[in-house]
Amino acid sequence: MARTNRHGSAPRARRRLPLRYLLPVLVLTALMAMLMLRGYVHSEILADHRVRPPVSSDKVPEKIIEGGPVIDTRSGRTQSLKVDDSRLVLTFDDGPDPTWTPKVLDVLKKHQAHAVFFVTGTMASRYPDLVQRMVDEGHEVGLHTFNHPDLSYQSKKRIDWELSQNQLALAGAAGIRTSLFRPPYSSFADAMDNKSWPITQYIGSRGYITIVNNTDSQDYQRPGVDEIIRRSMPKDDKGAIVLMHDSGGNRAQTVAALDKFIPMLKERGYELNNLSEALDVPSAHTPVDGLDALKGEAWIVLVQASEHITDGLVVGLAVIGVLVFTRFGLMLLLSGVHARRVRRKNFRWGPAAPVTEPVSVLVPAYNEAKCIENTVNSLMASEHPIEVIVIDDGSSDGTARIVEDMRLPGVRVVRQLNAGKPAALNRGMRNARHDLIVMMDGDTVFEPSTVRELVQPFADPRVGAVAGNAKVGNKDSLIGAWQHIEYVMGFNLDRRMYDILRCMPTIPGAVGAFRRSALERVGGMSEDTLAEDTDITMAMHRDGWRVVYAENARAWTEAPETVQQLWSQRYRWSYGTMQAIWKHRRSIIDKGASGRFGRVGLPLVSLFMVVAPLLAPLIDVFLLYGLVFGPTGKTIGAWLGVLAIQAVCAAYAFRLDRERMTHLVSLPLQQILYRQLMYVVLLQSWITALTGGRLRWQKLRRTGVVGAPPEGMPAQRVPSGSERRPVG
Amino acid sequence: MTQGYQPQGYQPQRSTDAENPYWASYEEMYGVPDQQVDEALIPKEPAPEEKQAEAKQPEAESDAPPKKPGRDRYLDLLRSIALVRVVAYHLFGWAWLTILFPSMGVMFALAGSLMARSLNRPAWGVIRGRVRRLLPPLWAFSAVALALLFAGGWDPGKSSDGSGWGWAEVVNYVIPVGAPPYPEGAGSGPGLLEDTWADQAVGVLWYLRAYLWFVLASPLLLWAFRRVPWATLLAPLALTAVVGTGLVTIPGETGNAVTDFAVYGSCWVLGIAHHEGFLAKVPRYMAVSCSVLVMAFALWWASGHPGPEGWDLNDIPLAQATWSFGFVVILLQYSPSWQELPGRLARWDKLVTLANNRAVTIYLWHNLVIMAAFPLLDLFYELPFMQGESAIAALDMTYQFWIFVLVWPLIGLVIVALGWIEDVAARRSPRLWPNGTKRGGSRRRD
Repeated sequence: MARTNRHGSAPRARRRLPLRYLLPVLVLTALMAMLMLRGYVHSEILADHRVRPPVSSDKVPEKIIEGGPVIDTRSGRTQSLKVDDSRLVLTFDDGPDPTWTPKVLDVLKKHQAHAVFFVTGTMASRYPDLVQRMVDEGHEVGLHTFNHPDLSYQSKKRIDWELSQNQLALAGAAGIRTSLFRPPYSSFADAMDNKSWPITQYIGSRGYITIVNNTDSQDYQRPGVDEIIRRSMPKDDKGAIVLMHDSGGNRAQTVAALDKFIPMLKERGYELNNLSEALDVPSAHTPVDGLDALKGEAWIVLVQASEHITDGLVVGLAVIGVLVFTRFGLMLLLSGVHARRVRRKNFRWGPAAPVTEPVSVLVPAYNEAKCIENTVNSLMASEHPIEVIVIDDGSSDGTARIVEDMRLPGVRVVRQLNAGKPAALNRGMRNARHDLIVMMDGDTVFEPSTVRELVQPFADPRVGAVAGNAKVGNKDSLIGAWQHIEYVMGFNLDRRMYDILRCMPTIPGAVGAFRRSALERVGGMSEDTLAEDTDITMAMHRDGWRVVYAENARAWTEAPETVQQLWSQRYRWSYGTMQAIWKHRRSIIDKGASGRFGRVGLPLVSLFMVVAPLLAPLIDVFLLYGLVFGPTGKTIGAWLGVLAIQAVCAAYAFRLDRERMTHLVSLPLQQILYRQLMYVVLLQSWITALTGGRLRWQKLRRTGVVGAPPEGMPAQRVPSGSERRPVG
Repeated sequence: MTQGYQPQGYQPQRSTDAENPYWASYEEMYGVPDQQVDEALIPKEPAPEEKQAEAKQPEAESDAPPKKPGRDRYLDLLRSIALVRVVAYHLFGWAWLTILFPSMGVMFALAGSLMARSLNRPAWGVIRGRVRRLLPPLWAFSAVALALLFAGGWDPGKSSDGSGWGWAEVVNYVIPVGAPPYPEGAGSGPGLLEDTWADQAVGVLWYLRAYLWFVLASPLLLWAFRRVPWATLLAPLALTAVVGTGLVTIPGETGNAVTDFAVYGSCWVLGIAHHEGFLAKVPRYMAVSCSVLVMAFALWWASGHPGPEGWDLNDIPLAQATWSFGFVVILLQYSPSWQELPGRLARWDKLVTLANNRAVTIYLWHNLVIMAAFPLLDLFYELPFMQGESAIAALDMTYQFWIFVLVWPLIGLVIVALGWIEDVAARRSPRLWPNGTKRGGSRRRD
């Protein structure tokens, strides 16, 4: 939130918008724009499906009502034309359609007939090739508005826009303009009424001839082939304009009817021409060139791009869907297997159980004055024999002094100049007397049984490292509750799954144990990455050690309380994880244990931790789009469905950890506020990785709420740290 | 569920009142509060504790004696936002404003909180003080409104809704136990106002009626809340679900009164809960998450039961009740108890103080002022440089915006002209422009 600047002096230099915000915003804006464009040409945006019921027609001139279907109101004229006897013009509305228009064109070609297609701007934009084919094969193209509204409801502005946008699509698709127009929902000349007549006049004033029809096949009702022919056939060999549709649904009957209808007409001596031929006038088409042609082409290119990008997005959404559900399925299954295995009555980690040998506990501390006393005190209550080594990493707040003044037996303080956490841990390791080494943060509080539980897996000589169960102490705030859910799911589902799959990517810095021999074999902690815990864990795997999860080794931590702190913590984690994956990339081609991790663990971790979150914004993009334009109800339903699945997973995780379910009430809000934060952080890490930026080390601001080791349940608030990770 | 709140929790709470630095300073200044002082202190809902606002002023001038913390500026800010939102809504009529900020719920919650604080003292005196502070500003307004109505030829005896009460209902202009009657398509005032002016101007009085009901019910609500907090908190929502959805329809003005009481009752009790420290005991994640669920329900309900104006929550009682409830819970949950407005908000300090000191005046008169702004703005069309077609078109386009601009100086005029009645009602010496910048001379007067 806003912090008040007590001195009130505003910083003078204006901050430029950093690339790391600009890029995601640009990408999202472009995505949204493309989706809007797609919605627009799919008539999901701006669509108006009202149809005006007929009104009286006393203001329509008699000669129009009694006249022919070609109505010319250009330049103040009021006249209508008929098609001569034995001439017939087939007209097709609402196309082009990718399935049926080619079939209609094929039939027309087969019988060497010409026709008129009244295309909508949306369809012409989406299927420009078909418009080109119509023109190439000698048919005429007319306007049928951009997205098919009843024009009597529209303003003049909108009508102009409908026409010009439709022309734009035509220009882009086939390089022509047309002077033919058919209003949506029109029928015969005698159906012209007081509402539609002024529109017709207005459209005439814009230079268009309005074409209605003599016979209406009503093929959209799919009445059967013979019925379509019966309705279309003019009486007494009169000339006629016939209305059919090549779009808007299944048009198999129309195609079949045409195939019979045209020979019948020819038998009766009809000529099947397009309109200009039938009226013996020059073609209604005029070629477009120059700027208008360019604009049209640009429009078509944009629409095509939006179609393809959207298709790509849908594929991406499917991928993320499959990933998410696979992960949930795997997690439920494998964590169930894990819990059942380690909770068996006579479960033993290995031949050496129970492990009772003493343990060295390393506590790296940098400016932990507020918390270190609680941390050390909690260790003093340990039920397992331990020595405690506090490594003071050049603190300036007297952390080391505080510990020394406690004068506790078995607690040693080692000082070093500030050199970072990996160096502190390595130094601690060299000072440790025992072969089992527990690492924790200077701001974490252990339960009395934590150390004992944490080292039990070492009864199995193949186990090289153990991950404990880090828990959030401050979970009453909203952001705390979200992290609580995240931690419980991360430790009880993710880590159990990774344990079974033998590819646990991270031992949390807050609570982890290592075998000294294993640590020494991989060369100790490294400073190569920002996530040294992930780095060392991967190194362990590659060296053939098993890394397991000890569910009862609980450590209490204080999660970041502000968005800013959370952001910098997560940024470090996700960037560090990416660094670690990159560092260990060569394991893919290794042999033996390393190769196994490289080919199974690494891809799995990359997929779930780096790729999936990258696609996650798609869920929100589609949610937003669906809410605003799409079927709102279905969109919400789908979202609630996914939420329900997540709730089931979370509830299972809570049950495994014997946590109270009440915190799950904040799950819905987590999905619309917290998850986005997480993937924006990941996106930022990606950008940093790709642009080669460096990450500053930011230490969390401590609130330093005093905490003692909690008795079983977490009423305690414990000081915060930065190095615990809920998700491996 | 109803027992989630243990009675012993109240003990420290009540003592907080004594510890409340504001209260302590007050006692220190005035001794043990007697009836009279009590009332001056008692925040009449929209215009509480002016004294403190003033008491705090010297501190603005010098960093002299460590000042007793004044009023909670966060609540003051909320009340100011609510007022601005109400004025904007009554001018523009945008339905989404009711969702953006449910002003009425917020105002009732703030009033409920202040009422709960006052009820440390004998209930009868508190109620009397509240009523006395409410009525004189209302009378001033009623006098003008009635004069205009009668000038327009209104005869309450021939009431259009045929309730038969006729003249008796006019009493509501004096003591608003019900919303006062007015002619629907009223005989226009001096011909300057729209003919629905009565509806718009007098229509807002429902708020005073609701406020009066809440004040009268507060001792009972507080008593009930201390015994069964959850039940008391949620009962008005349940009542809304019965009387606000057409399940049961109570006819006439009684029905309106009951519905309003139900719709905003939970907000009022929330104010009590806030004051009693009950809200602070609910974990924040729980309060916020549940509020969001309740608000989601409100939107869902509104989507299925749109009123004549669509999503305008004022026409959808259950949606209004639940949305306001959730919104207020979140606002109060994050209540930071500011001593002064932080950061950039500080520049609004004087206006916030003024709005809070004159909240009743602003509320009562704003609709009449909006209507008066129309003929005033129309004068602009007469200006010589406004004769061009494009100038007229431009003014047409931005007409409502200019009204909104014009409304505030007019409200300022009303504050200067009539605001002092609030002071007199509170037995304080009248002030012209109480935005807190003057020396607090008048404050020690009673």
